[in-house]
Formats: sequence, structure tokens, C-alpha cells
Amino acid sequence: MDQHTHEHQTEMFQRLGRITRQLHDALNELGYTPVLKGAVDELPDARSRLQYIARLTGDAAEKVLNRVDEAKAEQDAVRQHSQQLLDTIGAVPGLKWAMPELLEWTQKIQHSTERTDAHLTEIMLAQDFHDLTGQVIKKVVTLAAAIEEQLLQLLLESAAHAQSEAAPQPAALAASAPGGVRREQLAGPVVDPEGRSDVVTDQSQVDDLLASLGF
Amino acid sequence: MPELRFLIVDDFSTMRRIVRNLLKEIGHADADEAEDGVVALHKLRNGKFDFVVSDINMPNMNGFELLTQIKADDKLKHLPVLMVTAEARKEDIIAAAQGGAAGYIVKPFTKATLEEKLANIFKKMGW
Repeated sequence: MDQHTHEHQTEMFQRLGRITRQLHDALNELGYTPVLKGAVDELPDARSRLQYIARLTGDAAEKVLNRVDEAKAEQDAVRQHSQQLLDTIGAVPGLKWAMPELLEWTQKIQHSTERTDAHLTEIMLAQDFHDLTGQVIKKVVTLAAAIEEQLLQLLLESAAHAQSEAAPQPAALAASAPGGVRREQLAGPVVDPEGRSDVVTDQSQVDDLLASLGF
Repeated sequence: MPELRFLIVDDFSTMRRIVRNLLKEIGHADADEAEDGVVALHKLRNGKFDFVVSDINMPNMNGFELLTQIKADDKLKHLPVLMVTAEARKEDIIAAAQGGAAGYIVKPFTKATLEEKLANIFKKMGW
């Protein structure tokens, strides 16, 4: 970093420090410290409620998946038995002509089990809500924790009536992890794509984007 | 259909289970799981896998970082890595492709999409 940039940065942080102290003083004079304290006190409760939601939705998804596994196993057994019956009907001479309703019924059972299995697969896939909502909840909980920390710091500094003229040190930049993209930079699920041109909304858009770039 | 051993990487156990069940329905029952990139990398370096299906947004080591590590490792770089993720920003999709990902699926997805993307990758790999 050259001298000019360093001086500019130092001046910027000194200005930030003066603004922060003015904010502290204003909060005290206006009597907002108790309000801030209230907000700080409520944030852990908000976070624990969100974590409760994440835990319960996870439990619900697991319960559904367990039942889907059991149901699929049952359907598979019915399908196998109906196939064995179809094979038997085919193997016994004249049976399918003597009892056409038996053949028809067995075929219906087979088709029904296939359709039911497809429904069960869709029910299984629908449990991805836990992953998608869970990611959003994690981000909100992280944000709430960061806000709580900042508010607490503000409270402490406000209560102590900091007098120091020293500029706050610039926050150390976290080293980039291998791969260059840290978790905080990832956006998570797109909650509201309305009006955004920087995101895709379905798989066909992903495929089109990649195809347009030659991938 | 080639007989392959999959590694499913996602920090949500529900999603790992869904992907594992879908792979089994498609005909690939041999799979192991990892909850983040660190565990995944350890398993890949100490086990025998043919295919990686990975989320992106994970703690400790995210999917991008895992992809970079895999492609930088002479013993692992041949592995196709299919990203299955909620990250829908175009820059992330492009970054994954440029980083060597074999495919990119956005959540929520269907069984048909997973089947199609696997088939495309198998074809490219000559399997």
C-alpha cells in the first residue's frame, strides 16, 4: 500500500471514529441506551427461536424420509409379488383366458405401485425445504449474532463515555481461504428473485448460461 | 450403467439422504457421505471414489474450495464433481464451471434433472 493510500485510509478511519463517538453521545443524551440494551437482550431469544425452527423442521423432514423409506419398501414388495403373480398367470396354460379379471387386476396393481412409488419420490424430494430454509435461517442467525455483538460494543462504549481520540484500527482483512470464496460471501438460496438479473431461477437458466459460455 | 462409488457432500443430513436415495433409485447404490469439504477431502484422499456430488455453501470448507483442492490434487483431479446447490448467482455458476465442475444443479431439483446431468457427465467421460 503506498503512502497516499495509507494516509487516506487513516483519515477515513479517524472520521469514522468521530462519527461513532457522536453516535454514542447522541444515544446517551436521547436516552436510547435502555432501548439498545433491550434489543441486545432480545437478540439471543430471537436467535434461539430461529434455531428451534431449524431443529423442528429438520426433525419433521427426517420423520417424513423415514416413513417414505418404509413405504417404498412396502411398495417394492407389492410390485415384486404382483410380478410373480403375472409370471404365474402367464405360465399356467389358459389361466389368463379363464380369469381375465385376475390378469387385469394384477396389471392394475403393478401400475398403481409404480405411480405410488413416483409420488413417494416426490414427497422425498419435497423435504429439500429443510435444506433451503435452514440455509436462510443460518444466515439470519449469523446476522443476528453480528448485530448483537455490534450493539453490545456500542452499549459498552456508550456507557463508558469513551474519550480517546485514537482512530479505530481498521479491521484485519480475513485471509482468503483456498478457492477464494469464503462462506460469508456465498448468498445462499435466493429468497426473492424479483427484479434481479444476476441470479437464475430454474435449472433451464443454469443450462442456458453454461451453454452460452461454451461449457 | 457404470458401477460407481459416489461421495455426497452437504452439511444438511436431509439433503445427503435425499441425494443418496435418488442415486439408489437411478441405479447407483454405492455411496458415502461427508458433511463438509474437509471431511470430504479426507475421505477422497483415503478411499476410492469415482464421482463427487457436492453442495457449495458448507462450513469449514465450502464446495468451491473443495473443487479447487480436488482439481489441484493429481490423484483426485480426474474425479467429476457435480455441484448441487442453492447458490443461484450467475457468477457462482460461471465460477464453478471455470473451476472444473462437471455440472451444476440448482436446488430445488427433480430426479429427472439429476438423472439427465449424470447421463451427460457419463457420456463426456466415455462411460
